[in-house]
Amino acid sequence: MSRLLFALLLVIFAALPAGAERLISGLSNDTVQITSSFSGERLTFFGTIAPDAGSNERVAEGPFDVVVVILGPTQDRVARLMTNNFGVWLNTEQVEFRNFPSYFHVLSSRRLLEIADINLLNQNFILPEAHAMIPNIAGFMKTLTFGRELIRLMSEENLFGVQENGVLFMSDTLYSAQLTLPSSAPPGPYIAQTYVFKNGEVIARRSEGFAVRKIDFERFLAQSATQYPLLYGIACVVLALFTGWLGGVLFRR
Amino acid sequence: MQIYLPIAELSVNLFFLVGIGGAVGFLSGLFGVGGGFLLTPLLIFSGVPTSVAVASVTGQVVAASTSGALSHYRRGGIDLHLAMYLILSGILGAFGGVATFSILRANGQLDLVIALGFLVLLGFVGILMLQESVRALLKQRQGVVVRERLPNQHSWIHGLPWRVRFKKSRLYISVLPVLAIGLFIGFVGSLLGIGGGFVMVPALVYLLRVPGNVVIGTSLAQVVAMMAATTIMHAVQSQSVDIMLAFCLMVGGTAGAQFGAAAGQHLRGEQLRGLLAILVLAVAIRFGLSLVLTPSDIYSMAVASLSR
Repeated sequence: MSRLLFALLLVIFAALPAGAERLISGLSNDTVQITSSFSGERLTFFGTIAPDAGSNERVAEGPFDVVVVILGPTQDRVARLMTNNFGVWLNTEQVEFRNFPSYFHVLSSRRLLEIADINLLNQNFILPEAHAMIPNIAGFMKTLTFGRELIRLMSEENLFGVQENGVLFMSDTLYSAQLTLPSSAPPGPYIAQTYVFKNGEVIARRSEGFAVRKIDFERFLAQSATQYPLLYGIACVVLALFTGWLGGVLFRR
Repeated sequence: MQIYLPIAELSVNLFFLVGIGGAVGFLSGLFGVGGGFLLTPLLIFSGVPTSVAVASVTGQVVAASTSGALSHYRRGGIDLHLAMYLILSGILGAFGGVATFSILRANGQLDLVIALGFLVLLGFVGILMLQESVRALLKQRQGVVVRERLPNQHSWIHGLPWRVRFKKSRLYISVLPVLAIGLFIGFVGSLLGIGGGFVMVPALVYLLRVPGNVVIGTSLAQVVAMMAATTIMHAVQSQSVDIMLAFCLMVGGTAGAQFGAAAGQHLRGEQLRGLLAILVLAVAIRFGLSLVLTPSDIYSMAVASLSR
């Protein structure tokens, strides 16, 4: 009975007039489990753009652009510069970036700068550079240079990236995006923020969370290492002594 | 086949880990050294974070040296009395080394000090060993009989106060140089992530005149005890000992060490020392070049703190 009522309401609301679009989105897994054979995982983000409840349109009118931003847990990171002093290369300068994302990937349906204005992208932290432009005690110019280099280093480790053909439209309103999370992706809470653009403006957004975490034995090991470091250390030594002894016994001739 | 390392937080090929463990284990069995000075740079090169590599290799060195130490013990090749003095002072030195390690890591100067340390230490020891073994080989070719130990070859070092009799080594010497060697190797070993066998062996031979039949066994016993203590210290202080990584290296290392020890019996002492000298010098040159040559990337990054 209640289901019938709900369907009835839905029809009524769908028939009502008025404007905007809304985003209905989802993702393939809400946890990524790290097991001993973990070598990265592929995630799929999908969704559809529908007329807002109350709109008189049957289908949302495009063209739309979709941008999915995947953000990992934050860390404090330092970028260091080596200079040549009397023939020896030394780390002489460093800039610390507080609360810097440990993972950051952007998937978009088109070139980002064609989708929207650079200021709008920066305001929403859609461009990687936005994360390095937060005011820093090191001073503006230094932050700019070191920030750019840090983002380059993170990109080389596959922890930062922009895929401007990462979102595929299967119809005018239905999209999907695939992301391969590398095995070096740090465990922790992740946020996937999806933006829908139309004519260079954000018309809808949604965020979803997923977690990357160690399970079973890996979880047990990582927890013991941080919570019972002394016991963990002793266990390592006992294991080493045992392995060494066993090796000697097995291979003795 | 990939295996995930829970502390390093990345996955590495299992066969690669066991393979380098085995190769380095072979060398460690052959020369009676821990092999850390080869393994640590190899791991860093393959993408394992420096702190995890150094701390986990200490665990591997324990395993690699255990089988060697046990087989020497069975053959009576360990001076336990002498080893005890070296171990106690070594553990004291390791405390200082582990503390210095964390200070340097926070300042971003760890890589520099490790490179400088390897260059100076390995370069110096390598040249000394090469010189000595070439001289010995030449003399042998000329038909001169080389005696292992010359009588009355005591230097002023042996005459310092607090003399102790080490029966197995047939020595009656001051404990001060013994303690100094232990302290130095404990400090340097825990700082550089090496067992220090390649410093210990020549120090025992040239400074203390410990006879050849107990040198390697005593050095191995000291490495086992000191590195076991260092592993625990690293686990407590930096929490960067990866037991999975260490175990993979151990499995390869212990197997390799057995074959190395067997191969070592077919070579003469001078030849072994000459080969080790070349190996040590090669690593020193590699580190020296890394200081002088323009790096491929003048920028680098690191995680500043684990959680704050």
